[in-house]
Parts: sequence; structure tokens; C-alpha cells
Amino acid sequence: MIEISPDIAFIEKLQGATGSQLTTCMQCGACTASCSLSEDQDVFPRKQMIMAAWGMRDRLMADPHVWTCHQCGDCSVSCPRGVKPGEILAALRQEQIVHYSKPAFLARWMQKPAFFPAAILFPAAIIILILSLAGTFSIPEGPVDYSEFFSHAWLNGSFTALFVLSTIGAVIGLRRFTRNVFTQRTVQKTNPDKPDQGQSPQAPQPALRGILTVLGRIMSHRDFNSCDEQKSRSVTHFLVFWGFILLLFVTFFAILSTIFFEYPLSILNPIKIAGNLGAMMLLAGSSFMILNRLRKRDQSNYADWFFLLSFWLLTFSGMLVEGARFHEWSFAYHLYFFHLVMVWIIILYYPYTKFAHFLYRTVAMIITRSGRQAG
Amino acid sequence: MKESKNTGVYICSGCNIGDAIDTDKLQSIAIEYPSVKQCQVHPVLCSPEAYLKLNDEINEQQLDSLIIAGCSPRHAPDSLKFSEVHSESVNLREGVAWVMEAGHEDTQAAAEDYLRMGIARTAASGLPEPYIPDAPESDILVLGGGITGIHSALEGARAGYSVVLVEKEDKLGGRLNNMHDIIPASGSKQTNLKFFLEEKLEELDASTLITVHKNTSLESIEGEPGKFLAKLKNGKGASECKVGSVILANGWKPYDPAKLTNLGYTDHKNIITQVELETMQKEDRILRPSDGNVPSTIVFIQCAGSRDKDHLPYCSNVCCLTSLKQVSYIRQKYPESRIFIIYKDIRTPGKNEHIYREVQKDNHVFFTKGRVDRIEKLENDSLRMIVEDNLLGETISIRADLVVAATGMEPNQSDDLHLLYRKGEGLPDRKYGFPDSHFICFPYETQRTGIYAAGAVRTPQGIQACMEDAGGAVVKAIQCIESTKRGEAVHPRSGDKSYPDLYMQRCTDCKRCTEECPFGSYDETEKGTPLPNPARCRRCGICMGSCPERIINFDNYSIHAISSMIKSIPIPDEFEEKPRVLAFVCENDAYPAFDLAALHRHRISPWLRIIPVRCIGSINKIWLSDALSAGYDGILQIGCKPGEDYQCHFITGSELMKTRSENIQETLQTMMLEPERIETVFLEIDEYHRIPEIIDDYMETIEDIGPNPFKDM
Repeated sequence: MIEISPDIAFIEKLQGATGSQLTTCMQCGACTASCSLSEDQDVFPRKQMIMAAWGMRDRLMADPHVWTCHQCGDCSVSCPRGVKPGEILAALRQEQIVHYSKPAFLARWMQKPAFFPAAILFPAAIIILILSLAGTFSIPEGPVDYSEFFSHAWLNGSFTALFVLSTIGAVIGLRRFTRNVFTQRTVQKTNPDKPDQGQSPQAPQPALRGILTVLGRIMSHRDFNSCDEQKSRSVTHFLVFWGFILLLFVTFFAILSTIFFEYPLSILNPIKIAGNLGAMMLLAGSSFMILNRLRKRDQSNYADWFFLLSFWLLTFSGMLVEGARFHEWSFAYHLYFFHLVMVWIIILYYPYTKFAHFLYRTVAMIITRSGRQAG
Repeated sequence: MKESKNTGVYICSGCNIGDAIDTDKLQSIAIEYPSVKQCQVHPVLCSPEAYLKLNDEINEQQLDSLIIAGCSPRHAPDSLKFSEVHSESVNLREGVAWVMEAGHEDTQAAAEDYLRMGIARTAASGLPEPYIPDAPESDILVLGGGITGIHSALEGARAGYSVVLVEKEDKLGGRLNNMHDIIPASGSKQTNLKFFLEEKLEELDASTLITVHKNTSLESIEGEPGKFLAKLKNGKGASECKVGSVILANGWKPYDPAKLTNLGYTDHKNIITQVELETMQKEDRILRPSDGNVPSTIVFIQCAGSRDKDHLPYCSNVCCLTSLKQVSYIRQKYPESRIFIIYKDIRTPGKNEHIYREVQKDNHVFFTKGRVDRIEKLENDSLRMIVEDNLLGETISIRADLVVAATGMEPNQSDDLHLLYRKGEGLPDRKYGFPDSHFICFPYETQRTGIYAAGAVRTPQGIQACMEDAGGAVVKAIQCIESTKRGEAVHPRSGDKSYPDLYMQRCTDCKRCTEECPFGSYDETEKGTPLPNPARCRRCGICMGSCPERIINFDNYSIHAISSMIKSIPIPDEFEEKPRVLAFVCENDAYPAFDLAALHRHRISPWLRIIPVRCIGSINKIWLSDALSAGYDGILQIGCKPGEDYQCHFITGSELMKTRSENIQETLQTMMLEPERIETVFLEIDEYHRIPEIIDDYMETIEDIGPNPFKDM
């Protein structure tokens, strides 16, 4: 049994974030009927809409199903009351990221334009500090060699440390998320009216098969492809997803090269070719995402734009930096500095921006899958 | 009755009739009958030339009756109706030419038989002389001074009729007097009641045609349409008024919440009904009854006892909207309040959907589908609602300071009419206890001719609909007054001048007619002798069908006339292997279904002979034995659908036939005849496509059981 006590401020917050008059939801279930990802046991997203309209914040924060949605927009198009369930779910996902993030101030920085200067200046200042410590904070003479500006040892060392730190933040957030999900699940299942259901206080161990299924779905973009309304989103995300993974591998090999081999690599080196290919996929995919948002095919807010634009700038500036090296541009080091700031922004903030979706969604999909198998 | 002695027979050969049938042969048959003075074939009988010709011949030949042998009587043009001449139709087009093989000898035989039947019927019938009460009244009595009654009075007066409005309270307005505002609430101090009540009362006062009796009860109504005598009583004494028709608008009462034991209405002080909340708002004190505090969380329980087979099985139409209206009162008054609405389905018919959506926009109002399982008492007389079957998929609990039960509407007793009728002082209850006789075909008509139900007593509805009802019922009341003055049936046989004529010398006081008349037309003497009230009659003929002495007849529809039809045709002897089946077909839905089948050119067996009847309940048993004696091999009785969603235009005709069929089967057995010889079929008008199959199946049955043993005896 659940005691109903609506959090009206939460309803207003969701309304503000989405521009949706979500309380006019009449619970008809057209969203669930049109959703290609909703399964019989979930009543999704209808149930989330009721909880949102009733301001059931605690329940929604512990609901992994909000991550089932890939925001294709089918439900928002078919909603007879125009309450945009897809966007409510997007807002809920953002709300969950903020809710679980530690330290919380970093998540808050991502949400409001007022914190924009701080969000940009903070990583820039740290990079300047590191460069000052390394004693290379000046424009080197001669042909463009970025290691003159930022030595590979300092670069690898400081960026690895940064990555470890933010990953600790990500793990803390994820842990808080999964704990809350399982606690709520236990509360819900321990129903005094139906005692036979309250048997699993422990979180069910996700089966390996379940995890593999989920990873398979993610890599193939199967859930994305089942969308009717905005097929193009699947393509753009596919490009960004695989471009990014390609670049991750390339970065890994690049770090190895700086230590064991010669760096920079030749333009014909297969690793370099893969890196350029990945960068182009990323640039194309994220550019289309931006265009779709500009054409208002996708709804978005500040936090969404912050993440997407920083991602695009990261890619674009990376490509310029490469070009500057080949063409000996005079402002190559300025570009490089800018690129480094973007890298920092992405790494430092990844558990707090929309980027965290790859963690939360993967974990949530595993939980919902395993829950289904257990149930 | 003006008897038919000089008959003119006019055969139309248009619309393929001439192609399928030898009309000259028909002419030579007709002319042999001594009553037939004139018989002609015309290529287009519905043309203006034909009309002029007929008109001339009626005058020249002194014709007192006409037989129009052409299309179905339902399609016969008005131009062939002569008010001073009795007229019968012989259905050669839909009955023969369109449904049977052209030029076949069986087709010709069917056409000839139908002509013979028409001539026989005409010879035994005549132009009806109408029954008109002495000095019929034109005033309308309206019982009930609520919005429906007020609006009925106004509509009646606007149409130029005098209206007597009787209200038992000291004030007109009924339940509106206890309402703060109507749906949708205006939201300001100036409520919409001004337009819906105050302005109407002003118009009422100004009208010279309306007499209002407040503080007055209706003691009794006696008589018949055009001649009702109503006795009134108030503090000053008794009075009488004579009226032509009556509108029952005595409204509704809320369902008794004490019966809702799962809510514990009687146990908890802070559970109130919508009606109580409305009064609170009117007095500007929406407070908890237990301690007079301002409630912060209010729960509305929709369908409290409605759409529930243990309480009211129906939807009352306005409770959802009323709750939405009351939510707006509370939200305006207490901006911090939170309101929950637990519903089965929110029903906001038509444009009222916008009201629902407006209320939903309020972030302090929470809707859920669900069922209140129980209510628990908390400290301080607050309540905890345990709600099951909601959309969250688990039991929820809501703490409430005040609970509002949306109870449904029950009709007030129609016994308030105090009719001095043998069949009771109220109106017979139809579905769910409402007195309406058929909401689609005959709205406002009750089972008592001249008495029309309007407003919430007819069906649960809101103020706007009640006003529409008032207008509709007034039109019906006026139709009744005017039809009665002309001696015509009001409905559904509007314009029919015939009425049942009883040959009282042979009456045995068996009371079958008084019992079986669905409309309470018959009163009776102390001895039990029937006292007909022809103006109450709807001319269905159910009494004619019921009478074992066969003393009830209409001028143009009598037992003798139908018997003559049955006996008028030659029945082939058994060796010819041509069975004859007689079908009594109800004129209201089944006969039109046959016309539709003909329109679609469905083939119908040429061995079938159809006699249209006013209602399947008007079939007298003697016709069945006449037919069997005459040698027909089987009899079909085809009528409208009985049961809960009955379609019988006379309400109980089909039901009666079901009961009578059982008796008939017994009689068949005593005659050593197979029960299949007489079969009853219920047919809906849109089932015309089933007709060929029904007939063919029956023909097969008859083939199986063989010829009628009485054939040729």
C-alpha cells in the first residue's frame, strides 16, 4: 500500500522543464499503446504519467523504467491531450541524474545557464594551473608540436587522474541509483495485502545472459530502430555511438604510442585513419542532432544543449587541431588549448550531464530485464 | 362505420408489376366480385392524371371504397388517399413482382390471391368513424415546478396553450433552489442561476396563460386524453381542473447514501453527498461537519452506488460534471486545498469535455480511476481511503479531511400522478424504473397516452437536457390534444381514426382486454365489465387479439375482415405439392423489413401469403384455427424483438405473443397437429436479409412434416 501525498513543487518543476500541462493526462493509455518499447508487464509510460501527475517524486526517482524510453516521440504524437509523455520522461531522466549525482553542485551547474561561466572557467583554470606547474604555459616556437605545449607525461597523467576522479563520482551516483531502485522494489513487493509477493528483499542478481542481451540491444540500436515517429534519431545516435567508441580505442592506442612508440602517428597509420573516421562519424552525427533540434523535431533544454554543443565543439576543435598541425597554423596552440578545455568538460562532467545516460540506461535496462526474468 | 358496398379496384402495372404479372387476368378476377363496381389497370397509378381519373370515378360511380393494387401500403402515394373513401392496398410490387420470378404461374397465383384477399378485406371493412370526446380540453397540466416544469409551462404558453403548473412546495425552482450554480459554474459572484431560474420565473409571472398552484398536491387524475379531470388540494381547500394532456416533471431524488455500506456514510461525520456540498456552497460554508474546520484534502468518490448492480445499475449522467463544478468552488475558496477524484470513468458528454480539461489543469486536483475498497477512521474524524483497482497497480491510501460521495439520481415516484386507472395510479416502470417507453423511437411517451414524462423523472440528466425535454414533452402534449380533437390516434399510429369497438352484449367480463392492454385504456365497473377509454388507446389491437369472444373490432381492422382474407383464396390440394404458408407480419418493423428485402430483390417463396397486422399481439386465435381449417400448411407470426431491448412499438405485444404461443402449441397438440405448424419469429428491421432464409427454412420444415391433414376437408 502506498500513501499518496503529492509533491506539487515537483509537478510544477516538470511542467516548467517540458512546457507540458501534464496533469491534463486523462490516463487513456494511448502512449502505452503507441510505444514500441512498452511491454505487457510495464504499462509504460502510462504509469509514469500518473505518478508524474500525482507528484510522486520518490517513486519516480527510483523507477528504472524511465530509462526504457529512447524518446522517439511516438507517444507525444499520439497523445490526445498533447501532454508529451516522451518529454516528461526525458525530464525525469535528467531529474534522476541530478538526484543521484555526488557532488551535487556539479550536477546543478549543468542545469542552469547562470552557472555556465563557472562550468567553463573551472576546467580552464585547472588546465592553466597544470600547465603552469609543468612550466610550459607559453606558445612554443618552431613547427607545431603539441607536446611542446603540453608534454605527454603531464597530459596522460593529469587526464587519467581526472578520468579516475569523475568515474568515482559516476560510480557513487550509479550505486545510489541502484540501491534506491532495489529498496523501492522491496517496499512495493512487501505488500501486506498480498504477502506471497514479498519474498525478495535482496536485489536479484542480474544474470549474465540478461546483461549480454542488453548490451546487444544497445550496440545494435534495436530499441531505437523500433521507433515510428523519428527514424533519423536512430541513425544519428548510431553514428555518434560508434564514432565515440572508435575514438575511445584510438585514444587508448594513442596513449600507448606516446609511451612506447612514436607520436604523432603518420596520417596513413591504420589507427590514425580509424581516429579520423571516428571523428567524422561523431561530427556528422552530432551535427544532425543539432539540426534536428533547431528544426524543433526534438525538444531540448539548456542541459541538453550544453552537453550536445560541448560534444560537437570537442569533435570539431579536435579536427581543427589536427588540421592546424598539418598546415602550421599560427593559432594552433590556441585551438589546442580550447580543445583541451572541451575534453576536460566532457570527462569532468560526464556523470552529471546527459552523457551519464549511457551508464544509467545500461544499468536500468539490465535491472528491468533481470526483474522481468526473476518475476 | 360506413360500410363498403361499391368498391373500385385500380391495378397499377408500373414499376415492373406489368412485366411480372398478367394484370388483365387480375382485372377479370376482380370484376367477378359483386361488390366490385369498377376495375381498371393503369400504367402509372401515382401520376396526377390517375388521381384526377380516380377522383372523377369516385364521384361518378359513387364509390365508397378503393382497392389500390400496386406498391406496398408503406409506399402508396398520398395522392391516392381520399378522406371520404375507405381504402385498402394490395401489395403487388414489393409483395410479388419484385420478389418472385416474372411470368411464373406461382407468381401469378400469388398476385391473384393478394387481390382476392384485398377484396375480401374491403368487403368486411369500412371508413372508420372517429371517437371524439365531448368538448375536448386544450389545457396542459404540468406536475412539478422544477426547471423542467417551469420550462414546460413556458414552452406551452409560448405555443399558445394554457398551462396549469402544480408544485407541492411554496416556491418554484425545485432542486435549483438548493444549488449555488449550474454546470459550468460561472466562477464569479453572479452565478448562472440568474439565466436559468430567475429570468424564467419573471417570464412565468408575466404570462397570462400559466396558472401556478404552489403548496398544492395533485390528489387524482381521471378520464382520458382531451378529457382529464385533475383534482388538486392545498391549504385553502380542494379544486378541480380539466386538461387535455399532462406532463410529469416531478424530478429526482439522490440515491440514499446510507445504502452504501462500503463507504460507511452513516458512521463517518465527514462523508457528505454532492447535494449536501452544494447546499454548503450556497450557504458559503464548506467546512468539515465534525468540527467546522476548513478541509485541506477533499476526496470525491464518483459513481458512489452508480453503475453498480447492487445499487443503481445506470450512469446518472451529471455526477462527474457536478463534481468538476464543485471542485472549482473549493479550489476558488481554498487555494491551498488538494482534491482527489476517484472515478470509474469520467463521463463528460459532448463539449463538457472542456470542463474536465480545465479542472485537470489545476495542479492541486488529482484524478484516478479506482474503486474505494473501504474507509478507515483516523484521529480527529479524518478518514483514510483505501483505493483498489487503480492505475498504479497497487493499493493506495489517501488521507482525507472531507469526503464527497457522488451519488446518482433516482426518479421520483410516478405514483404522484394518482391516476384513477384500473392498472394503477402511476406509470409502469420500464428499464431501471424510469417510465419512458422507448428513448429512441418515442421519447417522452409513457405507457399512458396523454401523459408525458420530462426531465430527470424520465431519464437522469442535467439542466440543459431537462429544458430540451420540456420542449419535447410539450410538443407531444400538444400533439395529443390536437389529435384527440380530431379523433385520431396520437402515436405511433398517428392519424388513425379507427378505435376498438366492443360488442358488450357478448362480453363475459373475462378481463383479458383490461389486463393485456399495455396502455391501461380499459377501466372496469365494480362487476368487472370493461370500460373502454378510446382516447387512451393506441390502436394496436392487442385487446382484439386477446378477446376470446371476438367482440373487439376496429372499423377497418376486424376479426371478421382478416378471417375473410384467410378464407378468400383457393388452397391447392395436397397432390399438387404446392404448400401454402400464411404469415402474419407486424406492420411496424417486420413488414418494412419485407419491403427492404424486396428493394434488394431478395427472392421470397411464392407459396407464402402475407397478412399485415398492427401488432403481433393483435393476432386472434380464431385466425389461426381458420387458417388451419382452410388448409394452409403452416403459419408464421413475425413480430418485433421482445426482451430487455424490446422493439415492440406497443411495448408488450411481442412478450404477450411469446406467452400466447405456448398456449397455442397446446391447442395444436389437442388438434393432433404438429407444433411446427405455427411458428413465431422475431425480426429486427435491419435483418431484412434474413427473410429469404427464414421463409425457406420454414418451407423446408413444412415439407418435412407434410401437408396439413385438414386440407380439402
